[in-house]
Amino acid sequence: MADLDEIIHQPLRLRIMAALNALPATTGLEFARLKKLTGATDGNLGAHIETLAKAGYVSVEKAFVGKKPQTTVTATAAGRGAFARHVATLQEIIIAGKPQA
Amino acid sequence: MIDSQQASAALDDINDVVQRVRQSRIYEIASLIITLWGVLVFIGYIANYLWPQQGYTIWTIVDLGGLVISSSVGFFVNRRSGAGNFPIRSTISFVIIGVFGLYCTILLGHFGPRQMIVFWTLYGMMFYAIAGLWFGYAFIVIAACTTALTLIGYYCIGPAFLLWMAVAHGGGLVAGGLWMRRI
Repeated sequence: MADLDEIIHQPLRLRIMAALNALPATTGLEFARLKKLTGATDGNLGAHIETLAKAGYVSVEKAFVGKKPQTTVTATAAGRGAFARHVATLQEIIIAGKPQA
Repeated sequence: MIDSQQASAALDDINDVVQRVRQSRIYEIASLIITLWGVLVFIGYIANYLWPQQGYTIWTIVDLGGLVISSSVGFFVNRRSGAGNFPIRSTISFVIIGVFGLYCTILLGHFGPRQMIVFWTLYGMMFYAIAGLWFGYAFIVIAACTTALTLIGYYCIGPAFLLWMAVAHGGGLVAGGLWMRRI
């Protein structure tokens, strides 16, 4: 059985990756929308996005829409792959934990 | 290492977020279409109030315009998300709903202008309410509010009925669409 990805396994990072992975490949989520979807606070979300970005799992794009700064977070191909492997490992753990017939 | 219960909880958490994202994307697209329909019907009611004899022409233009706009929004959203196809199933659904409504109002029943307006509004809101059972409570809230305001207008408002409907139906859809974007 493969090991769990420690970067993704943290609950909030798992939710962030789940949200980004549910979108089409090149589509990202705005920071405010991601905050609402994951139920995180500003500071907490920012810190965990940074961790994911350092691991190369997400890309962060900052732009100005009018005069307002807008941060968009997108899952990278590496991030999507890591998330898929993490989910597969979780499923393996569940199957392994079931009583055998 | 975690046990199977913790793994199961993590997967439940993932599913919960995925559901939220899907609902959020549905609301994002639907809110745009609902707001556009709101603006169109608002204009339709005002035009119908100003030129009462041109009701059929006005509402034909409004409905065809709404169909084209809704399909175009669906097309651009599909293209942006990489799906790339024209939303043929949604367009056919709109056409079937419209044809059945026309059959009811023209062939089965002989409605006056006032009944015609109430029928089409309630008929449309019925589909919003049904959509809400699958896609989220916001559709049901919009349908319930618009239906209630339409019935109040039908039973209680006299000659200003079309103006009432412009605000209740058109304004209601615009307000509902904008609200949907924020939730």
